[in-house]
Amino acid sequence: MEAEVLEANILLPTHLSFKRIQMSEKYPKGHARGRHWKHLKQILQAENYQIYSSNEPNYVNIESPPSMYPSKKFCDITGFEAPYIDPRTNLRYANTDVFKCIRSLPNEYVQRYLALRNAAVVLK
Amino acid sequence: MGYGGARRLADSRLCKDFKGFELGETVTIVGDHDPALMKYFDCTRSSHRSAFDGNVVYQFEIMEYILDYGFERMGADGSQVDHPILITECVCNPVQSRSKLAELLFEGYGVPSVAFGVDAVFSYKYNQQLGVCDKDGLAICSGLNTSHIIPFVNGEPVFEACCRTNIGGYHVTDYLKQLLSLKYPNHMSNITWEKVEDLKMEHCYVALDYASEVRLFQKGAKEAEEKNRCWQLPWIPPPAEEPPSEEEIARKAAIKEKQGQRLREMAAAKRSSRITELENELQGLEFLLHQLENVQENDVPSFLSETGYISKLEIESAVVRVTQSLKKAKREQVEIEEKMDPSMTEKYTLINIPDNMLSPEQLKEKRKQLFIKTTSEGRQRAKQKRFEEELDRERQNELDEKKRLENPELYLEQLHAKHRELSEKFEQRKRLKVNGTHTNESHNSSGGVGRGERLNAAQKERMRLLTTAAFDRGKGEDTFGTRDEDWQLYKLMSKDIDDDDEGQDEDEAELARVTSRLQDIDPTFVAKSEIGPFQTIVEIPRFRPLTKEDFQIILGVERFRCPEILFQPNMIGIDQAGMDEMAGISIRRLPLKGNSVEERITNSILMTGGSCLFPGMGERLEAGIRKIRPFESPIRVVRASDPVLDAWRGAAAFAAAVPFSEQIFSRQDYYEKGEDWLRRYNLRQMIAITGAFHFSQISLGQEREPMAGLTFARGLALLYGHSSKSCAYDSPNKMVIRKKFKLRDIKIRTVFRVELSLVEFGQAQLCFSLARTLL
Repeated sequence: MEAEVLEANILLPTHLSFKRIQMSEKYPKGHARGRHWKHLKQILQAENYQIYSSNEPNYVNIESPPSMYPSKKFCDITGFEAPYIDPRTNLRYANTDVFKCIRSLPNEYVQRYLALRNAAVVLK
Repeated sequence: MGYGGARRLADSRLCKDFKGFELGETVTIVGDHDPALMKYFDCTRSSHRSAFDGNVVYQFEIMEYILDYGFERMGADGSQVDHPILITECVCNPVQSRSKLAELLFEGYGVPSVAFGVDAVFSYKYNQQLGVCDKDGLAICSGLNTSHIIPFVNGEPVFEACCRTNIGGYHVTDYLKQLLSLKYPNHMSNITWEKVEDLKMEHCYVALDYASEVRLFQKGAKEAEEKNRCWQLPWIPPPAEEPPSEEEIARKAAIKEKQGQRLREMAAAKRSSRITELENELQGLEFLLHQLENVQENDVPSFLSETGYISKLEIESAVVRVTQSLKKAKREQVEIEEKMDPSMTEKYTLINIPDNMLSPEQLKEKRKQLFIKTTSEGRQRAKQKRFEEELDRERQNELDEKKRLENPELYLEQLHAKHRELSEKFEQRKRLKVNGTHTNESHNSSGGVGRGERLNAAQKERMRLLTTAAFDRGKGEDTFGTRDEDWQLYKLMSKDIDDDDEGQDEDEAELARVTSRLQDIDPTFVAKSEIGPFQTIVEIPRFRPLTKEDFQIILGVERFRCPEILFQPNMIGIDQAGMDEMAGISIRRLPLKGNSVEERITNSILMTGGSCLFPGMGERLEAGIRKIRPFESPIRVVRASDPVLDAWRGAAAFAAAVPFSEQIFSRQDYYEKGEDWLRRYNLRQMIAITGAFHFSQISLGQEREPMAGLTFARGLALLYGHSSKSCAYDSPNKMVIRKKFKLRDIKIRTVFRVELSLVEFGQAQLCFSLARTLL
């Protein structure tokens, strides 16, 4: 091991004395390693919060609701205020220069700009 | 991770990344990403992983690695970790996550006892001790993945009124990274996550009012220019070629001269040798001719057979040929035309004779001659026309020059106008074509004739015909083609496919000519290129060398556009409230109001968490909260003393305090009470002990109500550990009943404890609590 790496203290030794079962034994190499961890969505589903009272705070309860203010529209490319929408690509733009630019964008970039705003069409 | 005083461990940074690599062997690495060290490892097979999904731990294998690392760094050795552990978690951590973590700690490490707490709360308490904020207040904690708002009443967090939005520093960095990569696709390899995070921390700020700030930039005001920050990428200019010095030039010229001279000499030598050759040949032939005159008629063939010529005529023609080439070699003008013409007319003799008088062979001859004649005439005509055109153009140029000389400005203007017009037309046509083909790319039409390519008139016409034919049929089936007349439709369409292109070529040529003319005359003319007032996707034009500016990345609007998503998550498509609005929601959600609680709360608002380090955030929050509070309510926003590490400090302080031992639950408790109890477990924050109250309120059957007692914890200190099995309570209202029974569909071994407990709030309340523990 190079000296630099050792000094940085980022490596984990393979055998730790304070553990009852070492990691290497628990997850032997070559076997599928713990792919069965549930993701947050599944955890929340399994929690089954509906059977509990809604007064009690739980993970789902405390989530904030959608915003009351109407959303301000900003240009996708420059960030200025954008009163206009390009009908072909659904991008918002601020003035004619930006519009010219949008019309010369390849489709890949258009989709990426839309994806920034979570407005891209996802085909599944 | 850190080592608290009094031998307590507190783990406040649960968001370390983790890598596993192959280096001949597999190693595991825990820690922040450091690019300098990464080059020692081969990370093709694995990448860094995080134990979190949102702010909840879900990958316990990785969590285990992190804990390993932490314990090892803190010097744990021995057969098990012997210290009680305080772990921070998110607000309302799902029970499954909590219990798995507890299980990991107990089983894996043999920890004696564990406590869970919320990091934002620790931070608030710590700052409260420091005097930064009061007993009642609001904690605004903005972390990596989420932002929370937690109101505090009398020192206790009110979790019912807590509010969480799933926007954090991660989203800000991601947004910035995407924006930069879209704007500067050439430098995508330089725009890495770590670098962008550095940029964000260094340059981003929160604007007090986004709309007005943006307007400033849109106008292009000078302040906006100053706010632009520029990141210069490493760039080495190409070695500058020095203009060659005088002697260099002279030397090169001399060399060229010499080479030219040499070539000329070679050519001259060749020519002279050829001339001598030809002269020799000529002499030989003349000699032969001369000899021939002396020979008899009959002996001619035999005499000539030696030399290779068949008749005198041939020799004579050979002589003529050689003289001609000689003359050419000596560079004399040869009127070949004249020589040709008589021979031509000779050859055309047969043309004038009418057909019926010729034999079939002669007819063939005649046709050949006719053909040759017409072609040569055509060639001549073409030459003539070209010549005339040349003259014409010359005349035009002269006229142009005259015009230019007499009125240079007007001429220039006209030329500019013409150039503009032509380029407009050209651009438009190009764009139509480009857009047409681009909309086609997304549909990926096979065959290639999509909408864009049908834009010229002929094809439009064709389309129109086809569609009318199709639609004229009426509804129902398509009967096109059953009658023969239908196919006549195709005769109506023009056969040209790409006549549009030809027109374009002409225009292109014209445009090129005008451009070059302009470039010649006008020193200030620059070829038009599409760069607007902002930096968009700039193509580096090929005709000039790359300069320093091409390697700069300018952060202008992005500096405050990215942190804005914390306040307006709609910008990124997340449909939740922003931070200032969340404060209002949280205050509204407070279950018990009155006593000017709200004013006290807004009087001490604490910002904590890594993502609240943006400059300008305090003012923005204040302005935002002022909008939703009544007029002239006191608002004071303070930043925690160290937003990043305060949670840990608070936890450490908490752990060091004496009553800590009563907060935690031990392994036995865990085994006994199990998972469900963990759901209701909540850390009490108040240190003062005034009584022991046990809150647990559960109804019979499958339902259970959680610790509603928590909400009633107003003005009361609560500190009670569920530590003993056999609770002996002092209060007469409590009874302990032990009861065992099985549930229908759950496994055996359930231990139940039924307790009656008392909740005091000016009223006594009897409630049953049925604690079911599943092991």
